[in-house]
Amino acid sequence: MSPAPGDTPPRPRVPALIATHADLAQALVRAAESVVGPVEDVTIVSNLGLSKDELEEAIEEQVKGWSYGGLVFVDFWGSSCHTCGATAARKHGEVIIFTGVNLPLFLDYLYNREKFDVVALAERLQQKGRDSIRVQRGVPA
Amino acid sequence: MSWVLHRIDDRLIHGQVLVAWGARLDPVRIWVVDDGVAASEWERTLFREAAPGIDVRVASVAEAAQAHAQEAAAPGAAFLLVRDLATARALVEAGAVVRDWNVGGLHYAPGKEKLNDYVYLGPADRGHARALLALGGALTVQDVPASAPTALAALDPALAA
Repeated sequence: MSPAPGDTPPRPRVPALIATHADLAQALVRAAESVVGPVEDVTIVSNLGLSKDELEEAIEEQVKGWSYGGLVFVDFWGSSCHTCGATAARKHGEVIIFTGVNLPLFLDYLYNREKFDVVALAERLQQKGRDSIRVQRGVPA
Repeated sequence: MSWVLHRIDDRLIHGQVLVAWGARLDPVRIWVVDDGVAASEWERTLFREAAPGIDVRVASVAEAAQAHAQEAAAPGAAFLLVRDLATARALVEAGAVVRDWNVGGLHYAPGKEKLNDYVYLGPADRGHARALLALGGALTVQDVPASAPTALAALDPALAA
Protein backbone atom coordinates (compact mmCIF):
# COMPACT_ATOMS: atom_id res chain seq x y z
CA MET A 1 0.00 0.00 0.00
CA SER A 2 1.37 3.41 -0.91
CA PRO A 3 1.74 5.95 1.82
CA ALA A 4 -1.05 8.48 1.99
CA PRO A 5 -0.21 12.05 1.03
CA GLY A 6 1.28 13.82 4.02
CA ASP A 7 2.50 10.63 5.68
CA THR A 8 5.94 10.90 7.23
CA PRO A 9 8.29 8.51 5.46
CA PRO A 10 9.72 5.85 7.79
CA ARG A 11 12.96 6.75 9.45
CA PRO A 12 15.97 4.65 8.61
CA ARG A 13 16.66 2.17 11.39
CA VAL A 14 19.50 3.33 13.62
CA PRO A 15 22.09 0.56 13.33
CA ALA A 16 23.94 -0.83 16.33
CA LEU A 17 27.07 -2.72 17.17
CA ILE A 18 27.70 -4.17 20.63
CA ALA A 19 31.42 -4.37 21.48
CA THR A 20 32.33 -5.84 24.85
CA HIS A 21 34.61 -8.02 26.89
CA ALA A 22 34.46 -11.78 26.35
CA ASP A 23 31.00 -13.08 25.35
CA LEU A 24 28.92 -10.34 26.93
CA ALA A 25 27.69 -8.89 23.61
CA GLN A 26 26.57 -12.28 22.37
CA ALA A 27 24.89 -13.04 25.68
CA LEU A 28 23.13 -9.67 25.68
CA VAL A 29 21.62 -10.35 22.26
CA ARG A 30 20.62 -13.85 23.36
CA ALA A 31 19.03 -12.47 26.51
CA ALA A 32 17.15 -9.85 24.47
CA GLU A 33 15.91 -12.58 22.12
CA SER A 34 14.53 -14.47 25.09
CA VAL A 35 12.39 -11.42 25.85
CA VAL A 36 11.37 -10.09 22.44
CA GLY A 37 12.13 -12.82 19.90
CA PRO A 38 14.69 -12.74 17.08
CA VAL A 39 16.95 -9.68 16.99
CA GLU A 40 17.97 -8.49 13.55
CA ASP A 41 20.53 -5.97 12.35
CA VAL A 42 22.66 -5.87 15.48
CA THR A 43 26.28 -6.90 15.09
CA ILE A 44 28.67 -7.90 17.85
CA VAL A 45 32.40 -7.75 18.50
CA SER A 46 34.39 -9.26 21.36
CA ASN A 47 37.71 -7.75 22.37
CA LEU A 48 38.98 -11.18 23.39
CA GLY A 49 42.54 -11.70 22.22
CA LEU A 50 42.61 -8.53 20.11
CA SER A 51 45.26 -5.84 20.24
CA LYS A 52 44.28 -2.17 20.20
CA ASP A 53 44.82 -1.96 16.44
CA GLU A 54 42.93 -5.17 15.73
CA LEU A 55 39.98 -4.09 17.86
CA GLU A 56 39.85 -0.71 16.11
CA GLU A 57 39.81 -2.50 12.76
CA ALA A 58 37.11 -4.93 13.87
CA ILE A 59 34.86 -2.10 15.02
CA GLU A 60 35.56 0.06 11.99
CA GLU A 61 34.68 -2.83 9.70
CA GLN A 62 31.19 -2.86 11.22
CA VAL A 63 30.49 0.88 11.33
CA LYS A 64 32.03 2.08 8.08
CA GLY A 65 28.88 1.45 6.06
CA TRP A 66 26.53 3.34 8.35
CA SER A 67 25.22 6.17 6.19
CA TYR A 68 23.20 7.94 8.87
CA GLY A 69 25.27 7.22 11.93
CA GLY A 70 24.62 4.56 14.54
CA LEU A 71 25.31 3.38 18.05
CA VAL A 72 28.26 1.40 19.34
CA PHE A 73 27.22 -0.05 22.66
CA VAL A 74 30.17 -0.94 24.92
CA ASP A 75 30.34 -2.26 28.45
CA PHE A 76 32.24 0.45 30.30
CA TRP A 77 33.94 3.79 29.98
CA GLY A 78 37.72 3.45 29.73
CA SER A 79 37.60 -0.08 28.34
CA SER A 80 39.43 -0.99 25.16
CA CYS A 81 36.05 -1.24 23.42
CA HIS A 82 35.36 2.37 24.41
CA THR A 83 38.68 3.86 23.34
CA CYS A 84 39.04 1.73 20.21
CA GLY A 85 35.41 2.32 19.33
CA ALA A 86 35.83 6.07 19.66
CA THR A 87 38.89 6.02 17.42
CA ALA A 88 37.22 3.80 14.82
CA ALA A 89 34.00 5.81 14.86
CA ARG A 90 35.45 9.27 14.47
CA LYS A 91 36.08 8.69 10.76
CA HIS A 92 32.48 7.77 10.05
CA GLY A 93 30.08 10.57 10.85
CA GLU A 94 27.55 10.49 13.65
CA VAL A 95 28.59 7.22 15.23
CA ILE A 96 28.01 7.45 18.98
CA ILE A 97 29.84 5.37 21.55
CA PHE A 98 27.41 4.42 24.29
CA THR A 99 29.03 3.03 27.44
CA GLY A 100 27.37 1.02 30.18
CA VAL A 101 25.00 -0.96 27.98
CA ASN A 102 22.51 -3.11 29.87
CA LEU A 103 19.56 -5.28 28.94
CA PRO A 104 16.74 -2.80 29.71
CA LEU A 105 18.24 -0.06 27.59
CA PHE A 106 19.10 -2.48 24.81
CA LEU A 107 15.49 -3.66 24.72
CA ASP A 108 14.38 -0.05 24.54
CA TYR A 109 16.78 0.45 21.62
CA LEU A 110 15.14 -2.44 19.75
CA TYR A 111 11.69 -0.92 20.11
CA ASN A 112 12.72 2.62 19.24
CA ARG A 113 15.46 2.39 16.65
CA GLU A 114 13.10 3.45 13.88
CA LYS A 115 11.41 6.23 15.83
CA PHE A 116 14.33 8.54 16.60
CA ASP A 117 17.46 9.79 14.93
CA VAL A 118 20.72 8.56 16.39
CA VAL A 119 21.34 11.54 18.68
CA ALA A 120 17.82 11.60 20.12
CA LEU A 121 17.88 7.84 20.53
CA ALA A 122 21.20 7.96 22.42
CA GLU A 123 19.79 10.58 24.78
CA ARG A 124 16.68 8.50 25.36
CA LEU A 125 18.67 5.35 26.04
CA GLN A 126 21.00 7.11 28.45
CA GLN A 127 17.99 8.05 30.53
CA LYS A 128 16.45 4.59 30.17
CA GLY A 129 19.69 2.99 31.32
CA ARG A 130 19.90 5.25 34.35
CA ASP A 131 16.26 4.65 35.22
CA SER A 132 16.77 0.89 34.99
CA ILE A 133 19.27 0.83 37.84
CA ARG A 134 17.36 0.74 41.09
CA VAL A 135 17.97 -0.66 44.49
CA GLN A 136 15.27 -2.42 46.41
CA ARG A 137 15.94 -3.14 50.03
CA GLY A 138 13.76 -5.24 52.25
CA VAL A 139 10.08 -5.93 51.75
CA PRO A 140 7.89 -2.98 50.72
CA ALA A 141 5.43 -2.01 53.46
CA MET B 1 55.23 6.44 46.77
CA SER B 2 54.59 6.92 43.06
CA TRP B 3 55.52 4.03 40.75
CA VAL B 4 53.61 0.90 41.64
CA LEU B 5 53.20 -0.59 38.17
CA HIS B 6 55.20 -0.43 34.95
CA ARG B 7 53.15 -2.34 32.42
CA ILE B 8 53.72 -3.47 28.83
CA ASP B 9 50.29 -3.79 27.24
CA ASP B 10 49.32 -3.04 23.65
CA ARG B 11 45.88 -1.79 24.74
CA LEU B 12 47.41 0.83 27.08
CA ILE B 13 44.51 2.08 29.23
CA HIS B 14 41.71 -0.51 29.31
CA GLY B 15 39.55 -2.57 31.62
CA GLN B 16 42.19 -4.73 33.27
CA VAL B 17 44.30 -1.68 34.05
CA LEU B 18 41.50 0.51 35.37
CA VAL B 19 39.42 -2.09 37.17
CA ALA B 20 41.65 -4.98 38.24
CA TRP B 21 44.99 -3.27 38.80
CA GLY B 22 43.27 -0.02 39.71
CA ALA B 23 41.29 -1.65 42.51
CA ARG B 24 44.42 -3.36 43.83
CA LEU B 25 46.86 -0.45 43.64
CA ASP B 26 44.64 2.67 43.59
CA PRO B 27 46.65 4.92 41.26
CA VAL B 28 46.18 8.67 41.28
CA ARG B 29 48.17 9.10 38.07
CA ILE B 30 48.58 6.98 34.95
CA TRP B 31 51.36 7.81 32.53
CA VAL B 32 50.73 6.65 28.97
CA VAL B 33 54.17 6.63 27.40
CA ASP B 34 53.93 6.36 23.66
CA ASP B 35 55.36 8.54 20.92
CA GLY B 36 52.40 7.88 18.63
CA VAL B 37 49.76 8.73 21.20
CA ALA B 38 51.71 11.78 22.35
CA ALA B 39 51.82 13.05 18.77
CA SER B 40 48.07 12.68 18.23
CA GLU B 41 45.82 15.32 19.74
CA TRP B 42 42.85 12.97 19.34
CA GLU B 43 44.51 10.08 21.22
CA ARG B 44 45.93 12.37 23.90
CA THR B 45 42.45 13.66 24.64
CA LEU B 46 40.88 10.21 24.42
CA PHE B 47 43.24 8.68 26.98
CA ARG B 48 43.15 11.68 29.30
CA GLU B 49 39.39 11.27 29.52
CA ALA B 50 39.42 7.47 29.74
CA ALA B 51 39.99 7.21 33.49
CA PRO B 52 37.66 9.53 35.42
CA GLY B 53 39.14 10.56 38.74
CA ILE B 54 42.69 9.65 37.71
CA ASP B 55 45.21 12.13 36.36
CA VAL B 56 46.24 10.63 33.00
CA ARG B 57 49.45 12.04 31.56
CA VAL B 58 50.42 11.28 27.99
CA ALA B 59 54.13 11.57 27.27
CA SER B 60 56.64 10.71 24.61
CA VAL B 61 59.46 8.36 25.57
CA ALA B 62 61.88 11.27 25.87
CA GLU B 63 59.48 13.28 28.06
CA ALA B 64 58.74 10.29 30.28
CA ALA B 65 62.43 9.42 30.71
CA GLN B 66 63.08 12.97 31.82
CA ALA B 67 60.18 13.02 34.28
CA HIS B 68 60.58 9.47 35.59
CA ALA B 69 62.80 10.07 38.63
CA GLN B 70 60.85 13.13 39.75
CA GLU B 71 57.56 11.24 39.45
CA ALA B 72 59.02 8.44 41.59
CA ALA B 73 59.09 10.82 44.54
CA ALA B 74 55.61 12.24 44.00
CA PRO B 75 52.77 11.55 46.43
CA GLY B 76 50.24 8.86 45.57
CA ALA B 77 50.56 5.76 43.44
CA ALA B 78 51.32 5.92 39.72
CA PHE B 79 51.13 3.52 36.79
CA LEU B 80 53.23 3.71 33.65
CA LEU B 81 51.95 2.05 30.49
CA VAL B 82 53.79 1.30 27.25
CA ARG B 83 52.41 -0.63 24.30
CA ASP B 84 55.38 -2.89 23.52
CA LEU B 85 58.80 -4.15 24.55
CA ALA B 86 60.51 -1.77 22.13
CA THR B 87 59.05 1.23 23.95
CA ALA B 88 59.95 -0.23 27.34
CA ARG B 89 63.51 -0.71 26.19
CA ALA B 90 63.69 2.79 24.71
CA LEU B 91 62.46 4.27 27.98
CA VAL B 92 65.08 2.45 30.02
CA GLU B 93 67.84 3.28 27.55
CA ALA B 94 66.76 6.93 27.76
CA GLY B 95 67.44 6.88 31.49
CA ALA B 96 64.36 5.65 33.34
CA VAL B 97 65.21 3.22 36.12
CA VAL B 98 62.66 0.40 35.99
CA ARG B 99 63.35 -2.79 37.90
CA ASP B 100 60.12 -4.66 37.26
CA TRP B 101 58.02 -4.73 34.13
CA ASN B 102 54.60 -6.29 34.17
CA VAL B 103 53.93 -7.91 30.79
CA GLY B 104 50.16 -7.62 30.61
CA GLY B 105 49.17 -7.94 26.98
CA LEU B 106 51.08 -8.40 23.73
CA HIS B 107 48.48 -9.79 21.39
CA TYR B 108 48.76 -11.75 18.20
CA ALA B 109 50.24 -10.26 15.07
CA PRO B 110 51.61 -12.06 12.00
CA GLY B 111 55.04 -13.56 12.66
CA LYS B 112 54.56 -13.77 16.42
CA GLU B 113 54.49 -16.96 18.45
CA LYS B 114 52.02 -17.66 21.21
CA LEU B 115 53.37 -17.94 24.75
CA ASN B 116 49.95 -17.82 26.40
CA ASP B 117 46.52 -16.35 25.62
CA TYR B 118 47.71 -12.77 25.90
CA VAL B 119 51.43 -12.78 25.10
CA TYR B 120 52.82 -13.36 21.61
CA LEU B 121 56.42 -12.58 20.72
CA GLY B 122 58.31 -12.21 17.45
CA PRO B 123 62.06 -12.04 16.82
CA ALA B 124 62.23 -8.28 17.36
CA ASP B 125 60.28 -8.57 20.63
CA ARG B 126 62.70 -11.20 21.86
CA GLY B 127 65.60 -8.90 21.06
CA HIS B 128 64.05 -6.13 23.12
CA ALA B 129 63.23 -8.55 25.94
CA ARG B 130 66.82 -9.79 26.07
CA ALA B 131 68.05 -6.20 26.15
CA LEU B 132 65.73 -5.31 29.02
CA LEU B 133 66.84 -8.37 30.99
CA ALA B 134 70.48 -7.50 30.31
CA LEU B 135 69.79 -3.99 31.61
CA GLY B 136 68.74 -5.52 34.90
CA GLY B 137 64.97 -5.42 34.60
CA ALA B 138 62.60 -8.24 35.44
CA LEU B 139 59.84 -9.16 32.97
CA THR B 140 56.88 -10.73 34.70
CA VAL B 141 53.86 -11.99 32.79
CA GLN B 142 50.58 -11.33 34.61
CA ASP B 143 47.44 -9.92 33.03
CA VAL B 144 45.49 -9.27 36.23
CA PRO B 145 46.40 -9.42 39.93
CA ALA B 146 44.41 -12.64 40.39
CA SER B 147 46.62 -14.48 37.86
CA ALA B 148 49.82 -16.21 38.90
CA PRO B 149 52.89 -14.14 37.95
CA THR B 150 55.36 -15.95 35.69
CA ALA B 151 58.77 -14.85 34.49
CA LEU B 152 58.70 -14.19 30.74
CA ALA B 153 61.86 -16.28 30.33
CA ALA B 154 60.11 -19.24 31.95
CA LEU B 155 57.37 -19.05 29.29
CA ASP B 156 59.81 -18.50 26.46
CA PRO B 157 62.92 -20.70 26.61
CA ALA B 158 64.25 -18.86 23.55
CA LEU B 159 64.98 -15.90 25.82
CA ALA B 160 67.43 -17.95 27.79
CA ALA B 161 69.37 -18.94 24.64
